[in-house]
Amino acid sequence: MKRVGFTLNGKTTTCDVEENELLLHTLRERLSIASVKEGCSIGECGTCTVLIDNEPCYACLTLTAKVEGRDVLTVEYLAHADLLHPLQESFISHGAVQCGFCTPAMLLVGYSLLLKHRQPTDEQIREAMSGNLCRCTGYVQIIEAIKDAAPVFIHSGS
Amino acid sequence: MLPPFSYIAVHSKQEALTSLASLAGAALLAGGTDLLVRMKKGETHRYVIDLTGAAELSGVKDRGGTLRIGSGMTHARIGAHPAIAKTCGGLAAACSAVGSPQVRNMGTLGGNLVNASPAADSIAPLLVHNAVVTLESIDGMRSEKLERFITGPYRTTIGKHEILTSVEADTLAGYNEGYRRVAKRAGWAISRLSLAWALNDADGVFKDVRIAVGSCTPVPFRPREAEAFLAGKGRERPVVEEAVKMVLDEIRRISGMRPSFAYKLPVVRDLLLSVLGGDSCS
Repeated sequence: MKRVGFTLNGKTTTCDVEENELLLHTLRERLSIASVKEGCSIGECGTCTVLIDNEPCYACLTLTAKVEGRDVLTVEYLAHADLLHPLQESFISHGAVQCGFCTPAMLLVGYSLLLKHRQPTDEQIREAMSGNLCRCTGYVQIIEAIKDAAPVFIHSGS
Repeated sequence: MLPPFSYIAVHSKQEALTSLASLAGAALLAGGTDLLVRMKKGETHRYVIDLTGAAELSGVKDRGGTLRIGSGMTHARIGAHPAIAKTCGGLAAACSAVGSPQVRNMGTLGGNLVNASPAADSIAPLLVHNAVVTLESIDGMRSEKLERFITGPYRTTIGKHEILTSVEADTLAGYNEGYRRVAKRAGWAISRLSLAWALNDADGVFKDVRIAVGSCTPVPFRPREAEAFLAGKGRERPVVEEAVKMVLDEIRRISGMRPSFAYKLPVVRDLLLSVLGGDSCS
């Protein structure tokens, strides 16, 4: 076992993990963060995406030991109590959530993009989403949801 | 789930070199986008040495005429780096085309080169820039031309105790350079074919032409005969067509005829015609 300390959704977190443990499993099984999904497990589908220092990364290909001292965000960071983040509201109003399996990762990718580009172009949104598969929506609703959330985008947490 | 191993995080290059030399059965971990996928498929290592903490492997230095790029630089950082965009534009474009945004945030240049996939995006533009890799071990340091370092698909000359620490690439001022790839889709697809180029021409005459073709032969390559043929010649359709024919002949000579060539060779031809031909040939 190895003790790893990192910031998870703004809170200092310490966790004892196996040396070969993946962040995906630490989050899901030790920290009860089930929003991070296991899809393909080889870094192709994007459903396990988390933000590490605000950049999208695959949790299925990240050793937990590697996030020592880093800042990790999952979709739980976005909402506060019963109040959803404007990006989440926008996903709902655009019908961008269907089966929901890709949604937490899509929200994080959108959030990360909006941190960098307050008024992203369609091209930038498509590029940001290109590592995340959705088999329900056909993507258009997700692109529209991110675009429409841009004017009311606010940092979560703080 | 990954097979068991002992995880070692190093905090300097020296510590990485010492660990690699002293631990039998150790693998180096950079971004993890190749190593961990292979380990999920059953590859085992007793130790995994995480290079992330070795700050010396990061960063870019302008050394006057060449750019030294740390092997730990991620594709995303290379794609966004102003000095690389300015004097090594093809590499910036290629790194921005690798895999997906997540892969670009995780995967590193060193990892891409050591993995040595025939479809690795970074190789062709680096060949155009006459890249030289630096390999270090506790016994010393050596430099090797990238085109000699990669000996075949997924094969390099790297020694068991060596780490690829940096890549040095010629800066090319006054060249028109770029990178184009053809894949099933733009995002998250492996290059079916790629072309990197740097052209220096004036008054309709080629001064220096550098081309590298990727995803076509076992190792991305520079068609030197065609490059030499073009130097000093006018940028005219018959000249360009002759050079393109030389490139296609060389591909056939290296690889023999392959089923995929019915598709690939016409694509190489058209890409080259549009890149080399410029306005004069369109």
